[in-house]
Amino acid sequence: MKKLFTLLLALVLVLSLFALPASAQSKGVIKLGGLAPLTGNYAEYGKGFQIGWQMALDEINAAGGANGYLLEIDVKDSQGDTVVSSTMATAFAEDEEIMAILGDFTSGACKANASIVDRYGVVQLSPTASAPDYASMSPFCFSIMGRQDGEAPYLATYVLKKYLGVTKVAVIRVDSDWGLSCFENFKVQADIEGLEVTEEKYKSDETDFSSIITKAKLSDPEVLVVMDQGAAVSAIFNAADSAGWDIKHVALGPGTSEQVVSQLMTPDNIIVTSPFFFDPQNAELTKWKEEFAGKAGFDPTVHPACAYDTMYLIKTAIENIGDGEITRDAIRAALQDVEMVGITGRIKFEPSGDIQRDYMICGVENGEWKVLEGFDYVNQ
Amino acid sequence: MEYFLNQLVNGLSQGAIYALMAIGYSVIVGVVGMVTFTYGEIMMIGAFGAYYVFQFVGVNLPLALLAAFASSFVLGIIVYKLCYERFFNAPRHISLLCTIGFSMLIKNLVQIVFGPEAKPVLNIIDNRTFSIPLGGAVSIDLKLLQIVIMALVVVLAVTLTLFFNRTKSGVALRAVSQNKEAAYLMGINVKRTAMLGNCIGCGFGGIAGILLAIYYYTISTTTWGGFSMKAFSASVLGGLVDLRMSALGGLFIGIIENLGITISSATFRDMFAFGFLILMLVIRPQGFASKKGSRV
Amino acid sequence: MSKVRALFEKYQALFYVLILAVLCAVPFLLPKALYVRYACNILMYATLAGSLNIINGYSGQTCLGQAGFFAIGAYTMAALSTNFGVSFWLLLPLSGLLAALVGLLVSLPTLKLKGIYLSIVTLGASEIIRIIAQTWTPVTGGAMGIKQIPYPQLFGLDTFRPKYYYFIFLFIGVVFLFVTKRVLASRVGRSWIAIREDEIAAKSLGVQTSFYKSLNFMYGAFWAGVVGCAYAPFVNYIEASQFTTDTGFNVLAMIVIGGQGTLIGPIVGSTIVTLLTESLRFLESWRYVIYAVLIIAMMWLRPQGIAGASNSILAGGKIKRKPAAAGGKGGASHG
Repeated sequence: MKKLFTLLLALVLVLSLFALPASAQSKGVIKLGGLAPLTGNYAEYGKGFQIGWQMALDEINAAGGANGYLLEIDVKDSQGDTVVSSTMATAFAEDEEIMAILGDFTSGACKANASIVDRYGVVQLSPTASAPDYASMSPFCFSIMGRQDGEAPYLATYVLKKYLGVTKVAVIRVDSDWGLSCFENFKVQADIEGLEVTEEKYKSDETDFSSIITKAKLSDPEVLVVMDQGAAVSAIFNAADSAGWDIKHVALGPGTSEQVVSQLMTPDNIIVTSPFFFDPQNAELTKWKEEFAGKAGFDPTVHPACAYDTMYLIKTAIENIGDGEITRDAIRAALQDVEMVGITGRIKFEPSGDIQRDYMICGVENGEWKVLEGFDYVNQ
Repeated sequence: MEYFLNQLVNGLSQGAIYALMAIGYSVIVGVVGMVTFTYGEIMMIGAFGAYYVFQFVGVNLPLALLAAFASSFVLGIIVYKLCYERFFNAPRHISLLCTIGFSMLIKNLVQIVFGPEAKPVLNIIDNRTFSIPLGGAVSIDLKLLQIVIMALVVVLAVTLTLFFNRTKSGVALRAVSQNKEAAYLMGINVKRTAMLGNCIGCGFGGIAGILLAIYYYTISTTTWGGFSMKAFSASVLGGLVDLRMSALGGLFIGIIENLGITISSATFRDMFAFGFLILMLVIRPQGFASKKGSRV
Repeated sequence: MSKVRALFEKYQALFYVLILAVLCAVPFLLPKALYVRYACNILMYATLAGSLNIINGYSGQTCLGQAGFFAIGAYTMAALSTNFGVSFWLLLPLSGLLAALVGLLVSLPTLKLKGIYLSIVTLGASEIIRIIAQTWTPVTGGAMGIKQIPYPQLFGLDTFRPKYYYFIFLFIGVVFLFVTKRVLASRVGRSWIAIREDEIAAKSLGVQTSFYKSLNFMYGAFWAGVVGCAYAPFVNYIEASQFTTDTGFNVLAMIVIGGQGTLIGPIVGSTIVTLLTESLRFLESWRYVIYAVLIIAMMWLRPQGIAGASNSILAGGKIKRKPAAAGGKGGASHG
């Protein structure tokens, strides 16, 4: 039996050698590295990343590539684990054929990788790293999640004060780096606008929100604001509904996520700030949404859409390099100056490496997202 | 005052689910004599079993509960064969690691087969809230959902107690739970009885799983490890094998967590749960159970 | 086999020097920094698993909360080095001592407890430590974590490179083995093993079980803290979510697979788990399914682990010897 086990082990090891992807040496292929949590607690998002990248990549290559170069991505599973992510980042950084790294999903992994990508001089472009201090850690670190010093004050001024016209607000937020940054930025602006704010926070793996809801109810607010990007958004609003609390729901973070709508008891009651929106009138976006759902087996959130855009960002950067040599540094420099409109909206990097987005106010009508106030609301 | 009472109700209904989880857990630990770390995944499979009833048959709560019980029961057979039967006399850590391995197996398989995303479980029970006046201006809010869940937990617990006390298999189960060697000498098929007990415990876990899903309106594939810990803690509080005491332990943890959140913040939830548990174990190592070291 | 053993015993010192020389050459022989990083991961987890093995393998108490002690070490290092610029080499023992202190605190309530009751206390303590790390913002950075932890100084070498960081892990590993070997051979170690094999007998023979159990926890926690201290700058960024109970289970899997109750066991376990999970990458999301199956298979085929102490109670030798229906001894007992 012992021998059998050893044999099995050996077999597995040998098999793994064959499974290494055959490296394409042909000219005109640009290889990218992808970090995504394909297993573990963030597997859903990792899978979304993988599909989002592949969809963009297939489109780009089918259309003749990026300035004639075909793109190729090698996605490695980071398990949402810092040590594994850093090990994989080292693997990519060392491989001179890899021109840029897309990912990782969690801010924590991205922050841990910052010193590696900085030293090796390779771009780490994260679709979703939301920590406010990540992108500034190195010139090679980028994120397109959008800075919270833009969205959170927008929420205070335009959604709460101007659109809804309320003064008493209960905020329930996730206790993560992102949630903290959201709330701090929000609070500053809320004080300026004269809003009365109460705050409740919870751990990112929280499942029971009934006591938080009861607590939030105590201050008798006019609107309930949730700051989270994941499943907790719908869980909290559902808990509020089931407590028989009739109150307007506002969320910062999920954007116009289809999943949130499908998980909510009273979707028509929600208002979100969002940089983008799947316009049912827009055939291209609808097709994207359906194609994603077909491949993933679940509706897209904002995360795979961001992943999709990161691939186009790389493509645009390569195009902007033009006839120059494609190097890691060239991609970094070009990426810094890229300006494009992706499905998640307009993207232009600030010197720090993250972006300031424009926001609109969206709500749900009959189970479909719709724009309540567009990008021009700020100017009115 | 009213506020504290409402928080107490929140704690009670969460505690009721913990209690049901703990009952199942205690049955398993009692008859098998080993703790399990795969209980969370067993609950998840039960929840998925019921979820597919909702998907394909429609909202039929009794059928869904049955499906939850059945799917976890069947999984229980596999767990028993893989993780316990062979290791009855081996050091505890061996079957412990087996259950950790098994939980990893199920969690990853489920993510592959059913997809990693959370599934919505909406509108199973009418969303209604009753305001119950307690004299004066004080009243408490009680959700229909909370009432249904608490009632179900009580019914299931009573059924199980009756089963244990009034049926032959139930008595055999208790015998195995108390002393395997003596049970063996009395002519009880210990292995089969232990398997049955394990499966019943798993089935209860499955029902707890779907109730959790209904209560939180969603089935995730990742949150079950935490629930499993709560079941474990509640069961330990009750002295591991005493069903009624375990249920009480579950209620206590639910209440303490929610009162803790009331006075501080939800980020400290698990600190209250585990802090209380450790404190209890220091003061009374046998938990709520009266007899010290009488079983298992 | 016996000849090899005899040869080994004769030239023991020489063998050790030889092994050490090979280990020192490893980072220069491996062609890629990636492979050296794997070697670093293996060494790091080997010592961490070793520290858990002290508790689980030598005194037979099932500790599930090693992630907590590990976190104490990591946060001590990260907080003091980023805020006050304290040297890594000073922090190494300090992190260990702090973790040992926490180990003592955790061991106190467990003295009266046995088996699974002890396990849940260690698990709970580990979770409480994680919640403190998540919420005690002024010291631990709270939700923001601690970033850009300075790399250690090592003879002016660039320890950012895994090639040189490897030597820090190697140093810790070697010192751990060296000291632990001596401790185990001493009265203390023999008391631990006596407690593992039969606590009541040990007590009746005059072993102060409470004292030695506490000492055991402290010693195990000390080394977990030391490894944590080396971990923090290695990953460069720490946050509470890195120290979940899953981390503890992972290390537990390593010692059970490698074998408890021997010094070589955790090293074998760490090597196998690291290499296996990496070599299974081609399976994509099926990877952990297969890994889980292998864990269960391992428990069936060789419950004492690949290099476990086969002459001990840990080997589970009773699986085959006795009929299934035995009393309550095999179960979760308390007393």
